[in-house]
Amino acid sequence: MNEEEKSKSPGRAIDRRDFLQGLAGVPVIGAFALAALKQESFRRASRARQAAATAGGEAPAELRIALLGVGAQGSVLLNSMLKIPGLRFQAVCDIWTEYNLKRAGNLLKKYGHEAALYHDYREMLDKEKGLDAVVIATPDFWHADHTIACLQAGLHVYCEKEMSNTLEGARRMVQAARESGKLLQIGHQRRSNPRYIFCRDTLLQELQLIGRPVTAFGQWNRSAAPDLGWPKKYEIPADQLRRYGYDSMAQFCNWRWYKKLGGGPIVDLGSHQIDIFSWFLGANPKSVQASGGTDYYDKSTHEWYDTVLATYEYETPAGLVRAHYKTQTTNGSLGYFEQFMGDQGTLVISESAGMGLVYREKANAPSWDEWVRKGYLTEPKLIEVKAESESDSLDVRETISPDEHRIALQFNDPYHKPHLENFFSAVRGKGKLNCPAEVGYESAVAVLKVNEAVEARKTLDFSPEEFKI
Amino acid sequence: MNETRLSTFQWTTLVTLRMLVGWHFLYEGVAKLLKGNWSAYGFLMESKWIFAEYFHALAGNATVLSVVNTMNIWGLILIGLGLIMGLFTRIAAGGGILLILLYYVCNPPFVGLFYSIPMEGHYLFVNKNLVELGALLVLIAIPSQQVAGLDRILYKLIKK
Ligand SMILES: NC(=O)c1ccc[n+]([C@@H]2O[C@H](COP(=O)([O-])OP(=O)(O)OC[C@H]3O[C@@H](n4cnc5c(N)ncnc54)[C@H](O)[C@@H]3O)[C@@H](O)[C@H]2O)c1
Repeated sequence: MNEEEKSKSPGRAIDRRDFLQGLAGVPVIGAFALAALKQESFRRASRARQAAATAGGEAPAELRIALLGVGAQGSVLLNSMLKIPGLRFQAVCDIWTEYNLKRAGNLLKKYGHEAALYHDYREMLDKEKGLDAVVIATPDFWHADHTIACLQAGLHVYCEKEMSNTLEGARRMVQAARESGKLLQIGHQRRSNPRYIFCRDTLLQELQLIGRPVTAFGQWNRSAAPDLGWPKKYEIPADQLRRYGYDSMAQFCNWRWYKKLGGGPIVDLGSHQIDIFSWFLGANPKSVQASGGTDYYDKSTHEWYDTVLATYEYETPAGLVRAHYKTQTTNGSLGYFEQFMGDQGTLVISESAGMGLVYREKANAPSWDEWVRKGYLTEPKLIEVKAESESDSLDVRETISPDEHRIALQFNDPYHKPHLENFFSAVRGKGKLNCPAEVGYESAVAVLKVNEAVEARKTLDFSPEEFKI
Repeated sequence: MNETRLSTFQWTTLVTLRMLVGWHFLYEGVAKLLKGNWSAYGFLMESKWIFAEYFHALAGNATVLSVVNTMNIWGLILIGLGLIMGLFTRIAAGGGILLILLYYVCNPPFVGLFYSIPMEGHYLFVNKNLVELGALLVLIAIPSQQVAGLDRILYKLIKK
């Protein structure tokens, strides 16, 4: 057969054969179109099924939102919310009218929101009608009063952690939420982070990847830093400051360090991670012991401890787990993360930089190949244990180094966005809150006791009743 | 070509190879198009080797990224159609090689590079991209479109 010559002899008229072979691609395109259409309609159907399962149908009506407290964290939340469709910002309240309030108002204007600006929250709640929800990011000691007033005014509330600087305040918040029938979400945003949810639900619970958990560890290290300052020309008058509970501008900016206003680093930073201990381990702690103090900074301006080491005991469904937490504010090395160790593996996760690692305990763990194949984990990176020198050959009893895998799931949105989205979905009647008042309360009980334990210099027990309300 | 003639079977396998590669290109493009919000962002940000900075910069600029996305989707679709129909086959194959080279240097399977995008196989230097690139080289070298493909008709029309 000599196809080549036939097709290559130029000048001949196009015959039937040219025509047929020239169009050889047509049936293939036909088959492709058919297959692609089938595939597409299959994909659409499964998407629609998914959407129907999570949503109630038509496009969401705009929610009318107020912001209460637009300092550092209020701005972070606002920037995340500007990426969430279906929100209308109607009012903003902050006592730093010339600085933070103005800045937030201007930012909102840039995005087409004409928000009314207030310095007093009572005035805002009085004047603004038709609000659906409020996002509160004021200092901790204001959370209870602000949250309760908003709930009673008929608003759903997203309130930053720590729920309150006192358990009494936190308790009143839970009660107000129950009485008003409105939603109260506390800002422990890791509870909505898809990477954390994946680690807890899939790796720890479903696959039991680390086996029997035995210890947990968490830390947040921060570099030494001077106290926060403020532009002198935007100073708030002293009488105004006093009216809202602050003795001075310095105290107003550095409220975290003062006993009546905040809870210090253990509450500010530790609360996020101690909350992860309880959430991942599926239990509340049964005891805590702690050591801490203001070792580095000036005690008169840093009433709360700059360094705290705390150790909890958790009675989990799988057995006793000891969890250690450390925060210090003089050296930022190694940053912040949480770590869980079991007899079959170790999980290390952090909100920061997408860090998520698991180490397989070779001696006891079954193969993880299936999880790698299914795309849960990346291929292992072998960590070699090298002998220091020729003579120093490896002892056979030396622990074999574990394989290191990364968690394949990625998450590139701003950290707080999923938690806010979870709140707004719940406001729209779709789905449940990931951190409702009761959960925020349990977390506050566990965290606030650390400061007590530091003072008491002994192990303090929790009774199961303490977590109930 | 003159000293060795190819049998019908040999031509058929070549044409089949062209259709297979074409189908894959076409569907890679069509799937991204149908997805609506597909973006090369993740792939570019994963880039590891010496061109990583350049690929990260592409991903970092929203306007550039959207041009990259559009060009990639339509490039894949046109190359796929060209290969299947045997139309402008050489240009299509050349374009395909260029695209694959870009994918390859963006995330090459070299010793010591690890990616967090899950891959479905095990590769060292040679991955499926590179194999497909080899197939396209064969298709450039041996003009199967002159046997089966619109280029056969085009060729005659021009030579008339
Ligand atoms: N979830 C997180 O990752 C995270 C991170 C940082 C802070 N936070 C929490 O957010 C809250 C705010 O922290 P921050 O760092 O933004 O503090 P900040 O001092 O920067 O901001 C507080 C803001 O509230 C305003 N304010 C104070 N008292 C007020 C009152 N009575 N009425 C109205 N406005 C008032 C201040 O003017 C300021 O603008 C705290 O509860 C903190 O624990 C959470």
